[in-house]
Amino acid sequence: MKFDILIAGVGGQGVVLASRLLATAAIDAGYHVATAETIGMAQREGSVTSHVRIGDEVCGSLIPAGNADLIIGLEPAEAARNIHFLSKDGSIVVNEHAVIPSASANNAEYIPEHVIEFLKENCQETINVDFTQLAKEAGTYRATNVAMLAAAAGADLLPFNPEELWSVLEKMVPEKYRELNRKAFDMSLERVSGMKDPEKQEQVQVQAMDT
Amino acid sequence: MILTSKRILMGNEAIAFGAMKAGLQVASGYPGTPSTEVMETIASHASKYGIYAEWATNEKVALETAVGAAYSGANTLVTMKQVGLNVASDPLMSLSYIGVKGSLVILVSDDPGPHSSQTEQDTRAFGHFSNIPVLDPSTPQEAYDMAKLAFRLSHEMEIPVILRTTTRVSHGCADVVTEDIEPAGRDIEGYVKEPRWTIFPKLTAQRHPWLEDLQIRISDRFSDHFSENTFNSISKGNSKIGIASSGVSSLYTNEATNKQTGTFSHFKLATVHPFPEKAALEFLSDITDLIVIEELDPYLEEQFLQLIGRHHLDVNVYGKKNGHFPVSGEYDVDVVIEGVNSSLQSMNAEVPLLTHSTPVVARENIPSLPVRPPTFCAGCMHRTVFYAFKKAAAKLKKENGKGTVFSGDIGCYTLGNAQPLNMVDTCLCMGAGISMAAGLSHTQQYQEGNYAKQVAFIGDSTFFHSGIAAMISAVYNNADITLAVLDNRTTAMTGHQPHPGIGLTAMGNPTKAIDIAEVLRSCGVDLVETIEADDLGKCIETAKMAIEYEGPSAVVFKGKCVGITKATGQYVIDEEKCTGCNFCVSQLGCPAIFSMSSGIPQIQDNCTGCSLCAQVCPSDAIDLREVLQ
Ligand code: SF4
Ligand code: SF4
Repeated sequence: MKFDILIAGVGGQGVVLASRLLATAAIDAGYHVATAETIGMAQREGSVTSHVRIGDEVCGSLIPAGNADLIIGLEPAEAARNIHFLSKDGSIVVNEHAVIPSASANNAEYIPEHVIEFLKENCQETINVDFTQLAKEAGTYRATNVAMLAAAAGADLLPFNPEELWSVLEKMVPEKYRELNRKAFDMSLERVSGMKDPEKQEQVQVQAMDT
Repeated sequence: MILTSKRILMGNEAIAFGAMKAGLQVASGYPGTPSTEVMETIASHASKYGIYAEWATNEKVALETAVGAAYSGANTLVTMKQVGLNVASDPLMSLSYIGVKGSLVILVSDDPGPHSSQTEQDTRAFGHFSNIPVLDPSTPQEAYDMAKLAFRLSHEMEIPVILRTTTRVSHGCADVVTEDIEPAGRDIEGYVKEPRWTIFPKLTAQRHPWLEDLQIRISDRFSDHFSENTFNSISKGNSKIGIASSGVSSLYTNEATNKQTGTFSHFKLATVHPFPEKAALEFLSDITDLIVIEELDPYLEEQFLQLIGRHHLDVNVYGKKNGHFPVSGEYDVDVVIEGVNSSLQSMNAEVPLLTHSTPVVARENIPSLPVRPPTFCAGCMHRTVFYAFKKAAAKLKKENGKGTVFSGDIGCYTLGNAQPLNMVDTCLCMGAGISMAAGLSHTQQYQEGNYAKQVAFIGDSTFFHSGIAAMISAVYNNADITLAVLDNRTTAMTGHQPHPGIGLTAMGNPTKAIDIAEVLRSCGVDLVETIEADDLGKCIETAKMAIEYEGPSAVVFKGKCVGITKATGQYVIDEEKCTGCNFCVSQLGCPAIFSMSSGIPQIQDNCTGCSLCAQVCPSDAIDLREVLQ
């Protein structure tokens, strides 16, 4: 067994925590795990990534290009920046919510929708939701990372199921934030289960139009 | 019975646990990415296991502290990053002659890439230079096990031992099997007076042959004790091609060649200095071509080349020196595949080339994406201070035509170089901002009064690390400089360690807080001001006054690091009042504000409510939207 996950985002979005959660879940499931995380200078509002490699054998922590089974993009451009790591039959879970870089970087206008389109063109199994909005609805935008992990587990894109993932979260998230994270977790699960089941998805859309 | 458990640990945490298992008693260090978490982990377990742990003011002090404790027979550890080892190199070079009692392990983290460093130094070369053994683990598990080996070796040989890691080992997490630690047997012999502990030329002359001889003995030991946990290993392949690698490159090598296992012989070196010559000779005996895979310097490559030359062996070597592998930057599996293939091609080997996986989109085909250069956090006090100096300098330029040179330093505030602030004209190493500003002030152009005023920036932790001596030298030598101390009450870049200005030790005990302004006064700085960094107008005024002052002056700006304090509020742009001048965006570079094609900028969730943008907005269009609890 070999399962490589790349988590990408912007400093402060909780990439490191997300990778710790996955790594812990992997150990609990009896695998070896190796992670590589961005720490230090680059974290200050820069692009951050974490490589999480789960498998039967000990290996280096950096995923070779074209080997990732899953990319979790907490930010659309950051997912796209790392797409060369994705394997031919890999999947993407991407947050539609963009973090616009400070204007001083002299970037051309950043249109997140175009980036999402690019991801979908290149990866059949791309799940895109505004997870930041979803987390806000659950109580805080800071739970975005948790919502995204739940989505990946709920859509069967991880080598462990949502309950296994939650039992790790329960241990790692401080008690006062637990309920809030559970809420984000459940809302996200619900959302992806709707996406997997076309009928349900329609209902979700109809409801959305009602409100 | 030894109880073991398996858990997820960062390489740095694994080293801390390994050291504690080995009977660590005294630990000292200075924070530096990627080494920091070793000391943090020890400090947080120190009282439980009866260990003394501290953050020293710099690496030289840290090493000397550990040396003192080791002379008394204690098991000691010092931690630092590769550039920190430069600071500690003075005691280190002498120490290798004298050796230690107890044990002394020097944890040094290298940073190929580099991700967070001024240089891509290779500590293996430093081991060679200083005649100190270097162990080079490839995984967090090995880091744990080799930490224990390092203590054993140090104790047995009475020498310091360097445990060297690289970013992917220090900051990678993995499942690590650790053993229970018993807080027992903390007794030490105590310091015994002996001429051996006082270095004099005579002693040096006596010890040098011992030191050289020791290198050979250790090299033999690293060669001979193959099975006894030196972590060196050789696997035989069925071609005449061999690969030698060390550290995390060994793992990349395994993965790069795993579709062709059995082809190459592989010598994985974990004890890199002194080079295990006998083992290497044995390895070379049945190969004709050797590919050397290592990050940073061609250290192993040089060792092999020497050995091959000395023994007139008929082995071709492929590595950095003949262009098959990159001489800088971090390696990964793809880099290794490229290098091996390039070597195979050049040796015309009858071995198939290694293959890369095919990504869905090749890196070259990713459309252009917004770049995110690192910058101060939203609401960071440093932004306000740099902007204030920028404004003050512009005013002075208008008034008297004199320019200002801004000397930066190492820490979060190095990011003052980011656009649009662009406030770092020089940056070299810890503390250098002050000394370089002083040097600049003594140039003739400046003395004739027609060039520029000199301003140096330094952070609170860096001030204690190497700012004080530099400031004393500047005052003593009549340098006309202005020092801005950016005191955000923490060592922010490395993860918020306490320092002498805080009043708290590494182990969380209260202690005397050293007042930076008082230190500056007693260093002879005549004008010393302390102000809060939240009022921009006052910051500009004070900055201007300090620059205009003839002679050394200093301002201590007190503020907070948003990395450890809560956001106080969030601001919002009033679309009615905003004229779309974009001043808030173009002047400050706060990552919470971005400009819209519609003309009205927007403030994102990460606003912490510092109010700087509201203070610079010429149309009074930025208001507090919400006060956060
Ligand atoms: S971590 Fe603290 S000091 Fe560093 S940029 Fe952020 S706010 Fe500023
Ligand atoms: S108040 Fe303005 S300058 Fe300060 S963090 Fe918020 S947006 Fe940035």
